[in-house]
Amino acid sequence: MSGDADPAPRVDDGLTLEELDADGALLEAIDSVYGDSRADLLRKAAFGGAALLGVLARPPDATGAPKKDTAVLKFDLVFEYLQSSFYLGAVRVGTVQRMAPEKARWAHVLGAHELAHVAILRKVLGRDAVKKPFFNFRGVTESESAFTRTAVAMEDLTVAMLAGQAPKFENRALVSAVFSLLTTEARHAAWARRIAGFTPVANAFDEPKTLAEVDRVVRATRFIASRPRTRGRGKPRYSG
Amino acid sequence: MTTRRRPTTIGQPAERLVSRRAFLARGARSASVVALGSGVAGALVASGASAPTPAGDVRILNYLLLLEYLQEALYAEAVAAGRLRGELRRYARIAGDHEQQHVRALRDILGSNARAKPQTRFGEAVRREGRFVAAALTLEETAAAAYIGQAANLTRERILAVARIVAVEARHAAWIRDYAGRTPAPSAADAAKSARQVERTLARTGFVGRR
Amino acid sequence: MAAVCSAALAAAAVVLATEPRGTSSPGPAPVPPRAALPDPVAPVFRVRTPRPLDDSIRVYHSAPVLRRVEARTAPEPVAPPVAALEQLTPERTTNIVLAVGRARDARGRLWVRVRLPVLPNGSTGWVPRSALGGYVEVRTRLVVNRARLTATLLRDGRPIFHARVGVGVPASPTPSGDFYVRNKLTNFDNPFYGPVAFGTSGRSPVLTDWPGGGFIGIHGTNHPELLPGRVSHGCIRLRNEDILDLARLMTVGTPVTIV
Repeated sequence: MSGDADPAPRVDDGLTLEELDADGALLEAIDSVYGDSRADLLRKAAFGGAALLGVLARPPDATGAPKKDTAVLKFDLVFEYLQSSFYLGAVRVGTVQRMAPEKARWAHVLGAHELAHVAILRKVLGRDAVKKPFFNFRGVTESESAFTRTAVAMEDLTVAMLAGQAPKFENRALVSAVFSLLTTEARHAAWARRIAGFTPVANAFDEPKTLAEVDRVVRATRFIASRPRTRGRGKPRYSG
Repeated sequence: MTTRRRPTTIGQPAERLVSRRAFLARGARSASVVALGSGVAGALVASGASAPTPAGDVRILNYLLLLEYLQEALYAEAVAAGRLRGELRRYARIAGDHEQQHVRALRDILGSNARAKPQTRFGEAVRREGRFVAAALTLEETAAAAYIGQAANLTRERILAVARIVAVEARHAAWIRDYAGRTPAPSAADAAKSARQVERTLARTGFVGRR
Repeated sequence: MAAVCSAALAAAAVVLATEPRGTSSPGPAPVPPRAALPDPVAPVFRVRTPRPLDDSIRVYHSAPVLRRVEARTAPEPVAPPVAALEQLTPERTTNIVLAVGRARDARGRLWVRVRLPVLPNGSTGWVPRSALGGYVEVRTRLVVNRARLTATLLRDGRPIFHARVGVGVPASPTPSGDFYVRNKLTNFDNPFYGPVAFGTSGRSPVLTDWPGGGFIGIHGTNHPELLPGRVSHGCIRLRNEDILDLARLMTVGTPVTIV
């Protein structure tokens, strides 16, 4: 447990989803974060891919400050869908099974928590609940290292999103509930960082992000995708 | 009369459900958890919760400041005592620096209304690693639960400040728990603590008061 | 001990409730001593600790083909091609493949081994992961037994549907092997195929010039009296009420094993 051993943490600053590149060069993109290519990556990532906001029927307004609590909760729900599908996807393709037991347990617990968040937000929203989007994780869930680093970035982003949103709710009972989620996601983030060999907490304050900023980052990942259209109305021409 | 509805809960219970008597004994406040059903707009605010005021902010922030002072002192004294090694020493330095910044941030908001530092006595908790871990864990968890308990009682302008802080407290808690071999995230959603509960927890530690 | 405890409690209570003391000149009037802190606002929801994820469920992964791509004999860009995968099926639905393996090439890029809708039946090939879209997780599996003239749908390994079927006549047999459901057609108004028709990745080995490719389908029929039997050009025919039941349970992407 204790002792003089302190595995020197890897550099951890700047590990954000913004820096994830498209098409397969994921690990290189993360490594290059610490160089000058960050701006290039952000520019490259500005186009393409469905945004979180696009999934909502009536997205929050352009300033990123939604008028109603419902709109924010819907956005939160989509983000929780993203997280839970990410963890569950990694389990289903077998990546988690290949992890060391403690790490596998981390992935299982976080996935279970995010699924619970999805369930509770769906219940709270009732008929206002949005459907789960279709995701393409583009190999990230199929590589243990890419998965781990992306999980770190995603958890950090969730904390920033919830910190930004918590003060905006009209309903104080929602402020209370969202603070519970905020601390839980912060634990996830610290745990993920420690698992990944990074320092669990870099700064004294977790800075907020607006929904527009979160949306931009998610868009850059291109994880939200169009569902394949496998049903048709054409005449069958099977052999019969 | 307050409408009481079953709390909206999801997942398998990690612990036994409390008895009905105990549940009722907690009073109307804890029973007013609402399933919002068809829409958020119709939600009920908990009974007994009065509107936030700047004077209320001062009370709450001073209460949270106390918890930050305690953590700051624990870490500073532990680092000064020089008996922590390896990752634990690094934790104490990093968390200590954070708590210092939290103290400063809350004092900045409170201005001349900021409380003074409390007297503390940590004893072996700053000299023995096992005791230190237990103390840090207790204080971080208590702080997080205290923040969760009071955030919604603050005026809107203050909520962001505490959100930025409590996330870091939760990270500290997860870190020290992971170090100690305990699950860093024991719940899918952390529970709030009331001031009364925090008071009792602090009393049990014996950390507050003259040596 | 009790005295110490209550003293500690009192000390804590006093400290918690104490009036703030300024560090500099007197400011606004201090808060009255022992003012109580409000109770927490009860949250809108509580979440109990859920059980960790269950990874004992075996799922299959199908994925859409994002762009025309060559499937290769090995997970390397220079490996010889096996067949081209188009983005659309002859029925103009999104073409999908069933993923059956993964590997990385020398540059660390991920490749996926997929079942191909080409002859010879049972062909597989490797495509870059980037050529495929998001995985669709499938928990069902269809087993067709040509000798017994049965179709059984399994979910998580347990049978949930069973029916007698028609298969191909000896001159145009239903091929054996591992396939998958590629698309689902409805509202096409052709009683020969019944109310619903599924296309699979399997091809008739004899109807090589068939318009539309001679794909093996799973569909209804306007001659239920012929079932069970060896009656078709290769397709698997079900009574209409059975195909409707199957359509409620079987999703596109479901692996199909024909024995």
